[in-house]
Amino acid sequence: MEARSRNGLGASALASLHESWDDLVRLFANVTFGVFLLAVWAVLTLIGVVIDQGKDPTYYAQNYAPPLARAILRLDCDNIYHSAAYIGILGLILCSMAAATFTKVIPRRIPRLNPVKIDAIPLHAKIAVDEPVDAVRERLVAFFSQRGWQVRKREFGGTEWAFADKNNWARRGVLVAHIGFLIIAIGTTIYWAKGYSGQFTVLSGQTATIPESGAKIALQRFAYRIDPIRTKSGIVYQPIDYVSNATVTGRDGVGRQAVIRVNHPYDVDGVDVYQSTYGFAIDFQLTKDGRPVAGPDHPLKEGEAFIVDGTGRSIQYARFVGTIDRATGQPGLDPRPNDPGVVIQAFDGDQPVGSALIPLGTAVDLGAGYRLEAARYILYSGFQYRYDPGIPVVGIGSFVLLAGLCISFYFLPARLFVLVRERAEGGTEVGIAATTVRGYDVFEERFGEIVAALRRTHGVKTTEVPAAAALGTA
Amino acid sequence: MDPTRQSIDQVLLVVGISAYITGALVLLAYFLTRRPLLRTIGMPIATIGCVAQILELGARWWMTGVWPLTNLYGSLSMFSAMAVAIFLIFAVKYDLAFLGGPVLAAAAIALGYATTWNEGTMPAVPALQSYWIKIHVPIVVTSYAAFMVAACVSAIYLLKAGMERRYASRGLRGVIATAGGPKLDVSMNAYAATADDMLRTSRDETPAITQAATAGDGLAQWLAGLPTLARLDVMQYRIIAVGLPLLSLGIITGAMWAKEAWGAYWQWDPKETAALASWIIYAMYMHLHTRPEWRGSRTAWISVIGFISIMFCYLGVNIWISGLHSYKM
Ligand code: HEM
Repeated sequence: MEARSRNGLGASALASLHESWDDLVRLFANVTFGVFLLAVWAVLTLIGVVIDQGKDPTYYAQNYAPPLARAILRLDCDNIYHSAAYIGILGLILCSMAAATFTKVIPRRIPRLNPVKIDAIPLHAKIAVDEPVDAVRERLVAFFSQRGWQVRKREFGGTEWAFADKNNWARRGVLVAHIGFLIIAIGTTIYWAKGYSGQFTVLSGQTATIPESGAKIALQRFAYRIDPIRTKSGIVYQPIDYVSNATVTGRDGVGRQAVIRVNHPYDVDGVDVYQSTYGFAIDFQLTKDGRPVAGPDHPLKEGEAFIVDGTGRSIQYARFVGTIDRATGQPGLDPRPNDPGVVIQAFDGDQPVGSALIPLGTAVDLGAGYRLEAARYILYSGFQYRYDPGIPVVGIGSFVLLAGLCISFYFLPARLFVLVRERAEGGTEVGIAATTVRGYDVFEERFGEIVAALRRTHGVKTTEVPAAAALGTA
Repeated sequence: MDPTRQSIDQVLLVVGISAYITGALVLLAYFLTRRPLLRTIGMPIATIGCVAQILELGARWWMTGVWPLTNLYGSLSMFSAMAVAIFLIFAVKYDLAFLGGPVLAAAAIALGYATTWNEGTMPAVPALQSYWIKIHVPIVVTSYAAFMVAACVSAIYLLKAGMERRYASRGLRGVIATAGGPKLDVSMNAYAATADDMLRTSRDETPAITQAATAGDGLAQWLAGLPTLARLDVMQYRIIAVGLPLLSLGIITGAMWAKEAWGAYWQWDPKETAALASWIIYAMYMHLHTRPEWRGSRTAWISVIGFISIMFCYLGVNIWISGLHSYKM
């Protein structure tokens, strides 16, 4: 007795679970809900366009009002595309798409051949013909077949119906588009699971290692080309090309000579290494009372700083100046190192206390007996690298998606329902109605043409065109 | 460029702009008056403008050897030429010459604005030196142009549907004023609730306009002469159905270019991200357009919002936000 009631309880719990599941599927399969999810996706995507991404917290504190800066950091809006919300919404969209595909797209877009109430379909017409039913039926089949319609006949309760389909195959267009989107999602997930990326810089004459793969890049030489171009608003110095000559050693331990040029990534063991930036590292020499003392332990790149021992002051190499304008002593426009110098910035703790432009090869007095010389520059090359095994999958998905869009938009599946009956007053009546996967308006003109052609030609002789048989809703 | 070449460039540009301005005025007059003569004059003028502009871009390329779509001038110039070309194709195929006024006016504004970015010819920065620029940029710009033409159709749709609502409520208010009583109030609410459905399913989707037109209202007569709402909706759908696959292909070719040039096909750069947002908005449009209860004014609004987002992606991102795609690097 007790066991049975427990069983009953179990069954009802199962039934209610089943019901909740059905409700959930129904919600997710609802197109309006899916569109709502797409809207949230669009909004999150736009937030990332408007708010700078991937900066450090001080950047937001400096550039936004304090409450907004706090909100940006707390809600992960500084790295929105990798936030839980963003990935979550994509997950929900995929679930919604899957639910809709199985419960709506497949059954609705690929419907069975069933009889309809002709008058109830907005696109319908009735034509009276002075001929026996069988002859009309035969002629109709020929009429539609000749015009590229696929005609199928079915009998329902002793009544024969003819169904004429156009672009029936294209009913799968939506399915193809949805599958394409799913394949892209799988491809991007493969990168998340197995791929990696990063960046590094390497000075001419030095070697860098990609930590994940162990590949080594020994930079022999970096070269760039910048051309002065005369435009309406004056001379503009346009970067034209930059290229690194390096020896790259992959997993097989064999060093290969490589030319890594901007726009032309170099492939080492499936990892793409590409030329992204370059700069001028500076070899600074520090002296105190004329004697060399410990300064920076390596050539500094733009933005790097070193502390002057025992003074609490730090010196930052702010930027490289290619050409110092001799007339003004200020930085000139030409970025090429014709008459180069560097801008340094001195800090007392966090406080900037002064800056100076030092021509290369000369020294500047820092006070307390310290002098700093920008001795020479060394070109360095900046690379980014990326290993993404999901790329072929994303590529396939993109083209499947595109094919799905084109099939859905350019091949309109339409179905004509044709019922040929004897009329009480003699002769035959042809009832014809049309449906498409995209409503009636898009097919109205075409349907009008078909009906007109039916009435006009092909031996379907009409004796009467009843007023109610006009196109459109009765 | 030497002076002769420069003057060819200038002449073609002036022909393009003047044709757009004149064409816009003539076709706007056609839109307002429906005189067939104006259409007969306006359409060839639009064609001349479009051809002159394409020749101008081609001439620039031929004379300097530099692909002209590497700066905002070239890109906006192509945008207006493609918008006019898409308009012309649809106008000839579906008798949509009435659209010419707004489309040509927008093309003239785009081209006029483009000239403020006309710096002459400069070689592209390394990031843009690739054959992909010849594939990706024209596709993307053509999709923007298609969305612009679609938004013009949407605006006309919204105008007609909005005026229908206004005439309907005016007509009903008139009835209430004469008959009075709560009964008619109820019928007005019923009408308001189903106004959109009636627009779609009845043969005459704008009965209030028809009624006012029959009663001699000039504005209503003009509105009644516009294509039906159903037809405008179908046209808007067809044009977006050109734009969305092009935008998808544009994003895909952009990703292929990025993969080839920078090793990563997607970098969440503001431009590609803004294009993704626009793509999502048009995907929303396509889905809602399959629902009868959404097809109509609501989808027309989404087309307008989609175009605003396209303009943000096209110009807003270049102007306000810098990234890999800002032409000045
Ligand atoms: C948010 C989740 C999604 C849901 C719930 C969903 C659902 C649906 C449904 C039910 C239809 C058929 C409508 C009908 O015939 O009555 C449809 C059509 C379509 N879907 Fe989706 N879908 C989703 C996401 C997507 C995505 C991300 C794409 C990618 C482009 C896409 C592309 C399409 C296309 C192209 C159509 C055909 C539209 C037309 O024929 O005008 N869908 N979708």
